[in-house]
Amino acid sequence: MEDVIAERLTQTFRSTFGKRDIQLSRSTTAADIKEWDSLMHINLIVAVEKEFRVRFTTVEVMSLNNVGDLADTIARKISKV
Amino acid sequence: MQLDLDYFHLLAEARNVRSGEGAGKLRLAVMADCAAQHLQPLLRALFHRKGICVEIYEGAFAATDLEVRNPASALYEFHPEVVVVLHSVQALRDRFYRRGDSESFHNELFQQLTGIWDSITSTSRALIVQSTFVTPIERFFGNYDRKINTSFSSTVSLLNSFIVDESRQRRNLLLLDLESIASWTGRRSWFDERLWALGKSLCSLDNLPLVAQGIVDIAVAARGQAIKCIVLDLDNTLWGGIVGDDGPHGVRIGSHGDGEPFFRLQCFLKELKKRGILLAVCSKNERANALAPFLENSEMVLTLDDFVMFVANWNNKPENIQAIRQELNIGLDSMLFLDDSPFERASVRTMLPDVIVPELPEDPAEWVKSLSELNPFEVASFSAEDMQRSDLYLQEARRRTASETAPSFEAFLESLDMTIEVERFVPKHLGRIAQLLQRSNQFNLTTRRLNEAECEAMMLDADGYIPWYATLKDRFGDHGLISIVVLRPEPETETLAVTDWLMSCRVLGRGVEEYLMNSVVDQARQMNLRTIRASYIPTPKNDMVKDFFGRFGFTKVSQTPEGATDWTLNISSYEDRHVLIRPATEMGATTI
Repeated sequence: MEDVIAERLTQTFRSTFGKRDIQLSRSTTAADIKEWDSLMHINLIVAVEKEFRVRFTTVEVMSLNNVGDLADTIARKISKV
Repeated sequence: MQLDLDYFHLLAEARNVRSGEGAGKLRLAVMADCAAQHLQPLLRALFHRKGICVEIYEGAFAATDLEVRNPASALYEFHPEVVVVLHSVQALRDRFYRRGDSESFHNELFQQLTGIWDSITSTSRALIVQSTFVTPIERFFGNYDRKINTSFSSTVSLLNSFIVDESRQRRNLLLLDLESIASWTGRRSWFDERLWALGKSLCSLDNLPLVAQGIVDIAVAARGQAIKCIVLDLDNTLWGGIVGDDGPHGVRIGSHGDGEPFFRLQCFLKELKKRGILLAVCSKNERANALAPFLENSEMVLTLDDFVMFVANWNNKPENIQAIRQELNIGLDSMLFLDDSPFERASVRTMLPDVIVPELPEDPAEWVKSLSELNPFEVASFSAEDMQRSDLYLQEARRRTASETAPSFEAFLESLDMTIEVERFVPKHLGRIAQLLQRSNQFNLTTRRLNEAECEAMMLDADGYIPWYATLKDRFGDHGLISIVVLRPEPETETLAVTDWLMSCRVLGRGVEEYLMNSVVDQARQMNLRTIRASYIPTPKNDMVKDFFGRFGFTKVSQTPEGATDWTLNISSYEDRHVLIRPATEMGATTI
């Protein structure tokens, strides 16, 4: 993952979940974080959108399989701006 | 008081709410055809702000009709005090596409809603809070859409009218007016169709706190915690300008121009008064001045009969509000204080933290809008008396502790971190100095209307005059040049004469006059003068300072039939007054 995006993503995850010890890798999925349910998923998506000032399409959100996908999608959207 | 309704802030806030915290308890059920989980943390945080610990039951998704009809359901086992029935226009839209576009569809919806309300009413004593439907984004025929009575937007509008009509008939049915909330914030940003697709979210997350706050406002009002009394400032709040300076006809009020915002605020307050909210005046003014616009200015909307109490004096406002509270025998938390001055708002907020003190936008034209958004006057006219009664004792106890621990006014003044600068007249301030001399009416001992040239002459007359100006700053900002004291040494009689003393009433009661009197006495000491001589010359407006010198231990030596008085002070008998203002620079007053 690009370092800058990874760092900001980690911070966003930590503040959204309210847990300071979250560590992310490209392969992190919802199964790895206990509180990551469907409710939190929407919170995360919106929090990430606010942090990176991007807006995901429904298809983009649906096709995310892990944190690596999320970071790539962000990188792609930021580079377009 | 400004509401922080940021979704993510509230999420974090909710994590810090411990269960069981809060004096009041509330059992709230949310029955929704959309995702209600997102509301839970928001409700917990927002109820917690009101001192209420909420227990939430969340009905199964889109199963409201079944659950309310089953007396053995988990809903009734929960014994809810409030049942929120949330209907989303998005879920209605799905049904409309399958089934809609006919008048029988309307009747089916009416029956469905009636069924829900009747079932809850027959099985429980809970208050029902029914949402209205937000006007949909779909307009099939554009502006023509509403002309067709079976179109989707017409269906929604009919349904809302039905809900409103029913709520007027049913004592236990209150409205959560989502349509009004969504139109306020703007439907374009209200709807987030992605979140609906992904998780059946009622609206964008940013707007969800408004929904939760609406529920909290209703539930809190239903418990009887409503604003009973509005305490009002006068100058620059109920009218533009200062009546003591501008006169009863000079204050700005009326249906046009810069008096319009004040006119509109008075209209708004008059409506609230008609609904049973008490109005009280709390103004730093001469009583006769404060009353004058109500008696003489025909543009005034509010009349003296509209106020249950009219307090106009020079005491600090927290004290006056306490007096009003005692007189009316109501709780501080049922009082709302409106004042244009950030200083007064902060003083009330600090000393009487239970009083609701809305932040007011700088422009009075925005006030009614801002108050409406804050929604402090939500009521539920048929409050559930049982819930109220037990709460009364709690409230009483809370009030007592609050008043016992209220910080002193002195501590508040200290927290202001006030700094003063007292200097001899300088050219760059002569304009403002002359202006203050021309305009100050109330706190003005001799009311000599000196012009700029005369001020300049005094400034240059180093042997004849000691002309001071004072500026004040505190943590709220810079008050600018607020006081003028002119002294004239008379060495032959070992006397220091005070020829002019005036101050802006905005800074009254903070210790500026005490600070300056200390400085005057100090000046006399430095010049080896023994006596200070001063006069008070009465005008129709300066009654408030007629005993100013007496307060500082001066002796009255003469009085004319018109009321003018001469005073002297032997400085050996003067004890420096305790003040909480620091000199702006280390040199400060000693450089004079």
